[in-house]
Amino acid sequence: MNPYLAVTALVFMVGLMFLLPLVPALLELRRKSDALPLSVVQQNAGEIRYFASSFRAYIHELEPTIRECVDSGTTATGTLPNGEEYVVLGRADEHLMQALGQRDARPMVITAGVDLFMPAEATFSKDIYAGAQFVGGEKNSYRTILGDKNVHLGASSRVLRWVHAVGEFTAELGCKLLGRISSDSLICLHGNCSFLRLNAPRIEIGRVDAIADANTQSYAVAARAGASRRILHDGDFEISAGEVIANDIVVRGNLRIRSGARVCGSVKSLSELVLEDAVSIEGSLISATEMHIGPRCTIHGPVVAEREISIATGVQCGSAEHPTTVSAPSIEIEEGVLVFGTLWARDYGQVVAIP
Amino acid sequence: MIYVLYIIVLGICVYTGRHYWFTLNRLFGFQRHPYIDIDTADWPPVTVLVAAHNEEKVIANILDALMTVKYPADKMQVIPVNDRSSDRTREIIDQYVEAFPGRIQPFHRVDGKPGKAAALKDAMELVDTEVILIFDADYLPGAGLIKQLVAPFFDLEVGGVMGRVVPLNVSANLLTRLLDLERSGGYQVDQQARMNLRLVPQHGGTVAGVRLSALRDVGGWNENTLTEDTDLTYRLLLGGWKTVYQNRSECYEEVPEVWPVRIKQIMRWAKGHNQAMVTYSFRLLLGKNRATLRERIDGTLLLGVYAMAPITLIGWALAIGVFYQGVAPLHGVIALLSLTAYAALGNLAAFFEIAAAARLDGTRKRVALLPFLILGFGVSIFSVSRAAVSQISDFFSGAELHWDKTERFRKVL
Repeated sequence: MNPYLAVTALVFMVGLMFLLPLVPALLELRRKSDALPLSVVQQNAGEIRYFASSFRAYIHELEPTIRECVDSGTTATGTLPNGEEYVVLGRADEHLMQALGQRDARPMVITAGVDLFMPAEATFSKDIYAGAQFVGGEKNSYRTILGDKNVHLGASSRVLRWVHAVGEFTAELGCKLLGRISSDSLICLHGNCSFLRLNAPRIEIGRVDAIADANTQSYAVAARAGASRRILHDGDFEISAGEVIANDIVVRGNLRIRSGARVCGSVKSLSELVLEDAVSIEGSLISATEMHIGPRCTIHGPVVAEREISIATGVQCGSAEHPTTVSAPSIEIEEGVLVFGTLWARDYGQVVAIP
Repeated sequence: MIYVLYIIVLGICVYTGRHYWFTLNRLFGFQRHPYIDIDTADWPPVTVLVAAHNEEKVIANILDALMTVKYPADKMQVIPVNDRSSDRTREIIDQYVEAFPGRIQPFHRVDGKPGKAAALKDAMELVDTEVILIFDADYLPGAGLIKQLVAPFFDLEVGGVMGRVVPLNVSANLLTRLLDLERSGGYQVDQQARMNLRLVPQHGGTVAGVRLSALRDVGGWNENTLTEDTDLTYRLLLGGWKTVYQNRSECYEEVPEVWPVRIKQIMRWAKGHNQAMVTYSFRLLLGKNRATLRERIDGTLLLGVYAMAPITLIGWALAIGVFYQGVAPLHGVIALLSLTAYAALGNLAAFFEIAAAARLDGTRKRVALLPFLILGFGVSIFSVSRAAVSQISDFFSGAELHWDKTERFRKVL
């Protein structure tokens, strides 16, 4: 073989091998099939009511039909622009609801301008809109509910995606709330309910009569913190019973705050954080691991733990004037707790019934 | 000579291992987003500083975006820091001040030391809130971003916050597409892994926040640096404050569309970073401070990332020299390790990191562009090395550091 030809062939082959991985790259560069900017949520600020608002806009066109049905006391059916079938109820129809709630029933979006009383042990796999009261039977399964007044779920019911109630939302014993639950006035969960994300001006876990709702002082949690006010402690730390601390505290270890103590700033612990009985925290309460909040404690700022939070009965988080967030991957909360704002268990939240 | 090569190859291996560690953590480890769920709170007053030097092409966009964010209007003050602009920046800002009375307080700087840090330092006379957010003028914050960036400040340990930067002009050309991949790897994997592992997430100086008391505690803005963000990261760390990264706090930015601008940008970053390395690495690693052991190690490695480029070039030269001298120490093992050093041109671990980032972002086809990253790395390694050489010569000649503004490519409104 001609040595020049051999060298040329070698160079050609090596060049070809070198260019081979570039072929898909060149194709993608030319076609620009994946050249859009990454999708960044610009307008939806992660509001809990986002899906409810979208659904309300979606069924907006049914409003005249709902009014007509209510006025005439009739029921209407039809198909929405995306092909989903719907039923509009203008009067209570127990038999129809029974039929729609059967597992093998044809799934339909349900909209009602009158009170909705759902039968027990029924499954509703499409969205529900209730223009008046919504009262669910026991052991039901819902996808979503939008209620313009109160929404009441029977015991052991299940919600797969979201519920928004303009009025009060109540879940009886043992409900499983797998998505977002929001209310414009009150959420009330009873014993053994599980939850993920709750938001309302007032969230009552079980009966909260014993909690004095008098914490209406004005707190500017992060705004007034200053470096000179911050105590930074390496290792474990303990605040004595009844002690009043005027500073913010950051503890790089375990922190235990004894009964009746009061911290006039914020608290952070890098390890376990324990609040005993009737502790008051005027700022935020943050743990890099787990947090145990004892009975009758009051916390005004955000409560955040990176692993889990357990909250005992009689605790109040936030106030009506200054709502807050309680957040952790796992939250265990006893009956008798009052939260103003958001209660968000990223993985699992459980209400513990008190005998 | 061979011992120097040993050390260089060892250094390359450490950085390679670090890349893999971060990527595997991001793919399979526990992900930390502790503050992202804080959506209801008594939100504190906040000042948003918008650094602007000749930004007539972009300043209106960011002011529009800031006027529509979901944060209590009475608690948010926007201060466009107009730093000696000679274009229409001042005029545009003043139009917005008029259109949104009481919400925008302009700071028109007409003289003084050049550079973002110097401008921010001067603008601090208008700041009286505990929480300060900083954006460059080419950024487009979304509706929920301000709350997301403020939320970590409820944690008293947090002195600085950094969000994720997402390129907007991706489709412009090959360079923008490569920068999109690099940013993806840098934020989606690198920064978040450092957050997960409680290491040292870096303050980026934009889509970022700082606590006023922490800033004062560490001496305020350092106007004698080219990268005030890196400088701030380390001063906060040494002062017992944490910088946290929020991967879900995303914000669009504009990346350079032409290579000379990119080269200038990366050279400025390299010089600033190397400045911080000289100033802080010894103090961080061995000095008396509040950083944990893992923060000391990671922080020092992070300070060295730009120094690795010239070191790798030296390593190549040494490896070639050793080869032609006929030296085959350790039965050729060193040759294998040198190969790793060669691979640092487009360090395989970095490729892995970027591919993992693309997967986490849910994008697929853009991964096909990975082989082109060799081009990007090639340009970077020589630019960064050039920056290091010029920095050393500047040191001996006593020349002052020169601050280059990154050119914008958006069309003027």
